[in-house]
Amino acid sequence: MKIVGVTACTIGIAHTYLAQQKLEDAAKAAGDDIKIETQGTIGIENALTAEDIKQADVVILAIDIKIADEERFKGKKVVKVSTETAIKSPNKLIAKLHEISGK
Amino acid sequence: MIVDSASLSEAIDARTVVTGLKADTKEEVFAELAQRLHDAGYIDSVDEFLKAIHEREAQGATGIGEHVAIPHGRSDTVKRNGVAIAILDHEIEWESLDDTGAKVVVLFAVGADDEGSKRHLQLLSEFARKLAKADVVRDLLQATSKDQVVAALTK
Repeated sequence: MKIVGVTACTIGIAHTYLAQQKLEDAAKAAGDDIKIETQGTIGIENALTAEDIKQADVVILAIDIKIADEERFKGKKVVKVSTETAIKSPNKLIAKLHEISGK
Repeated sequence: MIVDSASLSEAIDARTVVTGLKADTKEEVFAELAQRLHDAGYIDSVDEFLKAIHEREAQGATGIGEHVAIPHGRSDTVKRNGVAIAILDHEIEWESLDDTGAKVVVLFAVGADDEGSKRHLQLLSEFARKLAKADVVRDLLQATSKDQVVAALTK
């Protein structure tokens, strides 16, 4: 399935990017397509396009702060967790995304 | 942004990398790394920087699991963004996401000015991504020299 998401932590230096990498690796191991946008101190990177979001089966927000443009995901299946959860249990989280999307 | 291995190795300063560090507490590790950052010209005040590290520690665990900790301090006393790395000679207690302690400590020093050095902040984010990878962490846990630390992070 196709997963999109955003990671963002309070300081925006470390956990944002750890969570991104953990989610990407776990999703790839499960055979999923994934694209994760990071909102950190250096700004937004790997930004999701409208097309990315449209095609996604499920949205994962691993965030500790309010993010920019959360309304983009209105109408999608959205799972919201902390960056800690994404870093600690990425495989479990991806399994949960499968459950929620029904795919 | 894609950061190649060459630029990542540039960001690692041999003066702020220590292996086989004998320490029993977080405080000893912070003091050692802060002093090295000071001596290498990254920070003005060791005390101010330690204060910033403690402010971050108070917000939640900086142990990211798998025996790795990434404390960080953001402060005006940071003159150049940088990273200091300690491989400890034994694991010590550290609040972490998976209840392991820390044997690898990667300390980020970041200036309070957001606009600061964007390129360097991008390198720090690349470090964080590296530390999310199991094979990188395995190599770091076994590193006994600065060269091995650099090799683990840039392979």
